[in-house]
Amino acid sequence: MTISSEQAETLIRDAIEALNEELPEGERVTAKPSTVLFGIGAEIDSLSLVSLVVDIETTLSEQYDLDIALADEEAIARAVLPFSTVQALQDYILERANESR
Amino acid sequence: MGIGAGSVLTAMTTSAIELARSPQDGSFARLRPLVAEDSELTLRWRLSERAVQLNRGSTSVEQQRAWIQGRPTTELNYLIETRDQTPVGMLSLIDIDLTHRRAEAARFLLGDEAATRGLPIAVEAMKLLYSVAFDRLGLARVYGSVIEDNPRMLKWQKYFGMQVEGRLRQHIFIDGRLQDLIIVGILEPEFRAIALPRMDGLIALAGTLSHVAKEPE
Repeated sequence: MTISSEQAETLIRDAIEALNEELPEGERVTAKPSTVLFGIGAEIDSLSLVSLVVDIETTLSEQYDLDIALADEEAIARAVLPFSTVQALQDYILERANESR
Repeated sequence: MGIGAGSVLTAMTTSAIELARSPQDGSFARLRPLVAEDSELTLRWRLSERAVQLNRGSTSVEQQRAWIQGRPTTELNYLIETRDQTPVGMLSLIDIDLTHRRAEAARFLLGDEAATRGLPIAVEAMKLLYSVAFDRLGLARVYGSVIEDNPRMLKWQKYFGMQVEGRLRQHIFIDGRLQDLIIVGILEPEFRAIALPRMDGLIALAGTLSHVAKEPE
């Protein structure tokens, strides 16, 4: 099974919405493509990042039959660095999903 | 008076733990022993909204100072700092038992959330604590507990190798109601196979992102 760009975008947006339900009002994150998730200028801490990673990996596995580890050491060797922004995460999911086909 | 086997064992235990009571340095985070001078700061964190899911503790600086000074020798209580030694949180290894080779990871609190955004401070702090437990103290098992109202922390613990081992129903009164306490635990091989690669992955990724961000146009 594979995943389209729109599906990846929806998946990330849903994960961010689920995260926001667990966060205090002042710490909620916007789901814009330019939103920084990790590194300098990030809107969330690593607890929230891990929450996103877990939700996205679970959905990829359960809904798309894609077993992708988003934050393993392999991720740093990629042309697209995941988590730098929402858009980069979407691109990274598509890159890894296409490899898994 | 002779020295019994129990006394020798106690002395050996105390000695091993004392050796681990030193700063632990990582790439983004460091752990340093909690001291009485940290009373005011840590009390502020413990009384903040972010600590609502922890047990209530001291209510004054004097109480907090007495609590810090009264920690038993079977505990390692650390302040989490950034590499430039800005304090951002706390983390402990308690009930250290070298006979049964186990301890509890506890009192995990990021007091200054803003200072940790985008950085794997919490990830590396936990890695350093596990390294103390499994590498320096030779423990076989680290365990902990998470209240049911804290799904983000439970996800975090499970992602980094903790297994859910049980549920104590309506065990603890926190945030105005009785809550279930979920018991989690990680064994030394699980630390090496699951936690360490994921922790190292995120730490390395943060290093790469920092490097990319600093590169000139």
